[in-house]
This record gives sequence, structure tokens and C-alpha cells, in this order.
Amino acid sequence: MSERRLMLLHYVTGIGILITGAVHLWVVFFTVPLDQTIWETTMLFDNHPFAILSVYRNALLASTLWLLLVFTTYHAMNGIRVILMELIPNRSFVSAIKWVLIALGLFLVVYGTRTILIAYNIR
Amino acid sequence: MEGKVVFTVFRHDPSAGERPRFVRYEVPYRSGMTVLDGLLYIKERIDHTLAIRYSCRMGICGSCGMKVNGLPRLACFTQVSELGRSIKVEPLPNHPLVRDLVTDFTAFFSKHRAVKPWLIRKDAEEQENPTRQYLQSDQELERYIQFSYCISCGLCYSACPVVTALPEFPGPQALAWLYRFYADSRDQGGRERLRLVDDATGIWRCHFAGSCSQVCPKGVDPALAIQLLRRAVLRG
Repeated sequence: MSERRLMLLHYVTGIGILITGAVHLWVVFFTVPLDQTIWETTMLFDNHPFAILSVYRNALLASTLWLLLVFTTYHAMNGIRVILMELIPNRSFVSAIKWVLIALGLFLVVYGTRTILIAYNIR
Repeated sequence: MEGKVVFTVFRHDPSAGERPRFVRYEVPYRSGMTVLDGLLYIKERIDHTLAIRYSCRMGICGSCGMKVNGLPRLACFTQVSELGRSIKVEPLPNHPLVRDLVTDFTAFFSKHRAVKPWLIRKDAEEQENPTRQYLQSDQELERYIQFSYCISCGLCYSACPVVTALPEFPGPQALAWLYRFYADSRDQGGRERLRLVDDATGIWRCHFAGSCSQVCPKGVDPALAIQLLRRAVLRG
């Protein structure tokens, strides 16, 4: 993929993080699935230990969370690539680290997706 | 301001194997004196071995770039009265040292040439032997005129933190020149030009520190050129 596309995705995912992150925070702090917000029920674990699952059980919110995961992972991995490129300006190192970051990013997305799916299916 | 000015000058000859050092020189102040005047006084009357590079003495040729009191400046364009009685002079960073205050611009100019700083026409014959004038409107001229004021003095390049970290980065001067020709209505280089800097060490590595624009003695804004160039590259 050309550098132009990599960086275009970097900017798009940055905006995506702002939007999906805002949705996530709004859900956690301002929605009241039970008798308190998710943040409050999570802090008072004894009262509603699984209140957070209400987020995962809503398909729209779970999708937003998944998008936040994908956007954050891409943005972070590409950001690390750019930092390492300037820190260690060696083409073969940069090429090698690129594959390490792709593998790490895929792992994070797969593991995070698994977590979201498991929580979504809990009844 | 009267009396003497103390110049603390960086001295080093890599070929002689000596250690870098700073040497203090006292120079009598006179009204209107520039840093270059002070250095020439030292060279003519105190120490003939001091190596400096200069030419026009009026801020046009861009030869006398050096770090003066911590900032890259043109020595001929910097008044001693602006700096006070103590002046520290060093060679430009990001350029390999030749001797004392003289730096090697080979890499700088090779990056400059790499962006093809000339008008490209699709018709090769027309490019070599133009048959007519290519007129421009005032609006077309305004798109690039400020970037054409660049005198290639290398101050922006020496102030650029990205060049320090990533020597393969083209630098603000080359990128501003690229944009200057890309934005020229007579140029047909278009995407060919953009491809020159759309790589891992190219235009995307700019952090937008803006130090290039801060130090430019001609008021050019290379940071703006880089942002405009990025927009052009993104749009493809």
C-alpha cells in the first residue's frame, strides 16, 4: 500500500476514534440501562456486576465498540511505525518492524473481536 | 551601542583531527554593523585562518547562513545591534561541517534537484525549444509567488527537526520548491511531481513544527507549502 493511502487511513481512523470514542464515553457516562449509569454501576460492583454487558448486548453499541477497536489499533500501529522510522532510520529494520506491527494489530483486533462477541452472546 | 562586541566563534577543522572549540574575539562596534561584518573584521585583522562563506553581503545569495545566538540566520542580514554585546556563532546544523563556519550543501542541493525544480512540459520538444510565451493571470501567479522568493540559503533545512531525525527527509526547502512548481499553471508535471515525495521518508514525515517558516529570512512559509502539498497528494 502506498504511503498516501497509509496516511489517509491514519487521518480517517483518527477522526473515527473521535466519533466512536465519543459514543463510547456517552454510553458509559450518560446512559442508564438499570437504575444508574454504567460508570456508576461498574464502580459499585456489588450492586450490578454485569451492567456493562448491556453495552455489548446492544448490536449498534457493540458495533461502535468494535469500530473503536479497529480504528485505535490501526492508528496506534501506524503511529508506532512512523515513530520507529524516525527513531531508527534503517530501511530493513523499518520493513521488518512493519510485519511485526501488522501481526500485533491483527492479534489485537481478533482478540478484541472475540471478547466483544463472547459478551454479546451472553444471556 | 558603542565599544566592543565579543564574538564567540566555533572553530573546528575535521581534516586536521583537532577537537572542536569556541574562540572569543573582541571586535569594535560600529553603527549598522552586521554579524558578517564582525566575522570579516576577525578574518582580516585578528585571525586569517577563520573559514567563512559569503558572497553578496545583502541577503540575496544565501551563502552566509550560520547559527547566530542559537538561531539559523544569514550573517549579512543580522544586525549586531539586535543581538547585544555577546554573539555566539556556530555552523548550520543538519549540514555536514567542512571547516569552522562552512558547511557542505551537497546533500541539500541533491534533494533540491531531486524534486525537479523547473517547469515540466509534456511536449519534450516544446520544453527544450519553447515556441511561445506562457502567460499567467495575477491569480495564477499568487498561487506560488511567495514560494519563489526562496534563495536556497538552507536555514529552513538546518532548523528542521525532521531532517535531524531522518536524514532522508527532503526538507522544507525542497518541498517548498516542489509545491512552487506544482502550483504553477505553466507546469504539467502534476502527479509525476507528487510521486517524488509520496513515500515513507517523504512529505508525510513533516511534524509541522513550523521552525522552517520561523527562520526564513525572505518571509517564505515552507510549512504552508508542505501542508498544501499534502492536500494535493491526498487528493491524488
